[in-house]
Amino acid sequence: MQRRKLLAMIAAIAMSIGAAAAQPAKDTLSVDLPGQPATLDPHIQWDTDSYHVYRNIFDNLVTRDAAGKIVPQVASAWTYRSPTEIEFTIRTDIKFHDGSALTPADVVYSVKRITDPAFKSPQLSQFDTIKEARLVGPDKVLLVTEKPYPVLLAQLVKLSIVSKAHVEKVGAEKFNLEPMGSGPYKFASWQRGVRVTLEANDSYWRGKPSIRTVTFQNVSDEATRIANLKSGRADIIRAVSPDQAQALKSESRLKLLPAATERIGYLFINAQWGPTADIRVRRAIAHAIDRKLIVEALYAGFGTPVDVVLTPANFGYITGIPSYPFDPAKARALIKEAGAEGAELPFTTSPAYDSRLVQALQQMLGDVGLKVTIQLTDHPTFLKRRQGNPNEAGSISTGLWSCGCQDADGVINPLFRTGSTWAKYSNPKFDALIDAARATIDEAERLKHYGDALRILYEDVPGVGMFQYHAIYAARREIQWQPTAGESFAVFDMKWQP
Amino acid sequence: MSRYLLGRAAQSALAVFGVMAIVFVVMRLSGDPTLLLVPEGATREQIDALRHQLGFDRPIPIQFADYLWTLTRLDLGESVVQRLPVWRIVGERIPYTAWLAGTALALSIGLGIPVGIATAVWRGTLVERALMPLVLVGQSMPTFWSGILLIMLFGVTLGWLPTSGADDWRSVLMPAVALGGLSMATFARITRTAVIEELGKDYVRAIRAKGVSWKVVILRHVLRNGAIPIVTIAALEVANLLAGAVIVETVFAWPGMGQLAVQSIQSRDFLVVQAIVLLVSVSYVLLNFAADLIYGIIDPRIKLRGGTR
Repeated sequence: MQRRKLLAMIAAIAMSIGAAAAQPAKDTLSVDLPGQPATLDPHIQWDTDSYHVYRNIFDNLVTRDAAGKIVPQVASAWTYRSPTEIEFTIRTDIKFHDGSALTPADVVYSVKRITDPAFKSPQLSQFDTIKEARLVGPDKVLLVTEKPYPVLLAQLVKLSIVSKAHVEKVGAEKFNLEPMGSGPYKFASWQRGVRVTLEANDSYWRGKPSIRTVTFQNVSDEATRIANLKSGRADIIRAVSPDQAQALKSESRLKLLPAATERIGYLFINAQWGPTADIRVRRAIAHAIDRKLIVEALYAGFGTPVDVVLTPANFGYITGIPSYPFDPAKARALIKEAGAEGAELPFTTSPAYDSRLVQALQQMLGDVGLKVTIQLTDHPTFLKRRQGNPNEAGSISTGLWSCGCQDADGVINPLFRTGSTWAKYSNPKFDALIDAARATIDEAERLKHYGDALRILYEDVPGVGMFQYHAIYAARREIQWQPTAGESFAVFDMKWQP
Repeated sequence: MSRYLLGRAAQSALAVFGVMAIVFVVMRLSGDPTLLLVPEGATREQIDALRHQLGFDRPIPIQFADYLWTLTRLDLGESVVQRLPVWRIVGERIPYTAWLAGTALALSIGLGIPVGIATAVWRGTLVERALMPLVLVGQSMPTFWSGILLIMLFGVTLGWLPTSGADDWRSVLMPAVALGGLSMATFARITRTAVIEELGKDYVRAIRAKGVSWKVVILRHVLRNGAIPIVTIAALEVANLLAGAVIVETVFAWPGMGQLAVQSIQSRDFLVVQAIVLLVSVSYVLLNFAADLIYGIIDPRIKLRGGTR
């Protein structure tokens, strides 16, 4: 009797385990972000956490496919009427979550709203080349730029379309707290500081989302995000460091989702002040950096070594540009030739940058005979120095640059063009090339200009490209998704493995 | 009495004003928020334009006067980053911090004082040897470490408690223990010292000689006479709990003012940081004020008087 009872119990337990395994597939998703969205109004902040949430609530004028190509979204097609005028054909089958139709007037309103100086959008500088937006037909919108601006489409990937009637009715503050768009997910609730909840939009024009409910939690500590993932409280987490990623590799229930982004890890070299004003010292620095070692040792392989200050995810990236191989002997020789042995190089940096990378570079440059002193300040002070006069900026500093536009124009232009806040370098030939690349919409011509511009940067070395940064997500093994270079978090593209 | 109160109130207001002025100036001296708000590729003209629009190009004294003027209308201003009224952003975090700090304070007093009494009364016995390690651990474990250890044990391995967040009473347990550990140890130490000192006094021997039980001696006489340092520490500990909350709230993803302070400092959300500092300094000053009043209740010999002593 006793034994039979025991057997029955075991059978019952076994059955309940079986039942648990056979329960219907999961259809919710719990996401841990390192911060809470600063705003959910897509026209205000565009920090990574805000963007991760609201890009699921809104549709953008155009978007990028998995390969990074710009493809239609709200606009089904576009043509250049002239180099300064693009005509967009707007889809007529898109509905906002309140049931009203998305119209070309909403597109015009969205452009005007984000470019209105009085609205003070931090994103203004990405769109302020747009001089005019107007309706030119029942389903046509014309955008006019001051000068030809070939990066406009790449910028419009980030332009969320909002409902004019709704924003005007509820006002800016309520719209920010309870956003309403036309995207695959509807806003449900925002327990501020804790989580944002979104529900699937079943009348979405691209189909029913497979995941029904998404929550985004605000968990700033990485160890806590990982604990949440391990305990099942989170299904996917953002911003995993390479060290932790390495440790997570052994977890059979989890997987890592790294994405090569358009962020470029580079070393700025001041060409207008101090020992590095000598081109031989700059070339010596380029020879002294072991990019492969940096990627392997500091980033556990989560990074791609590059030779130029641009990633393969950017338009304008060209293979075959000459580079400086890791060669400490040659670096030493160049430094000797320049008479710069033991020269002091101030290395300005802030807590926003990886201190291990800063120390590794200090060591590498020390090995070839330069005396690098690290000058660590808070980030705003660093920015003030780095963007100030050449004699304030120090000799070198690291950076992790992203323009959010995946185009060379947004990288080498602000970093190296004469007169830009970041440039401590000036070469009229380089300026002419990138200006020419900006003045035409002919892609082949632009590529040629950028190739020549990158060759000049190779000669002059106002900076050294080191690695393409990989953003790392960690997730439950059953989640099917591939993150993209644009770091856009499209829950619509995710599925639970049946 | 009222003169004393007025004097203390004026001192308190001066202290709060001083804190505000220091924070205001330091936040601005350490850098320009405009640089953090614009996209990296913004041109100098775009940066200048935004700086002007936000009013950060004005001299600091004028910005400070402007801030004080808005404060007099009980307005904390609008957050540049979140585009919401600051009172709202900070206000929605207060209940969470009160919940966490309150639980941590209850835990640290509820554990710390009995432990302090026990280790004093049973000095040199097994009881003291068993309890002192608890005090030592509370005192020496940094919260960012004890927090992670708690999460790994009770959240991940055992699965008893949620690993983060603020959903119900189960969520508050681990952060409150991590946060209250140090305060608990402080209460235990102070109570122990106070009780030991009182136990050696003549009046204790006298009432013991009358045949009064130890229980009554400790609870009615010794504890009351030893209460002054404990009340002083309690007021200071609340400030420590609010400061410690910055770390604990980050580790446990607790949506209180500490977490808000860290995230606002990172995004240079000036007005939010100032409002938090204002709130914390006001509550600190008020608590010390309250402690002064309590002294008079515990020990009627302490007269609340202003002027020369």
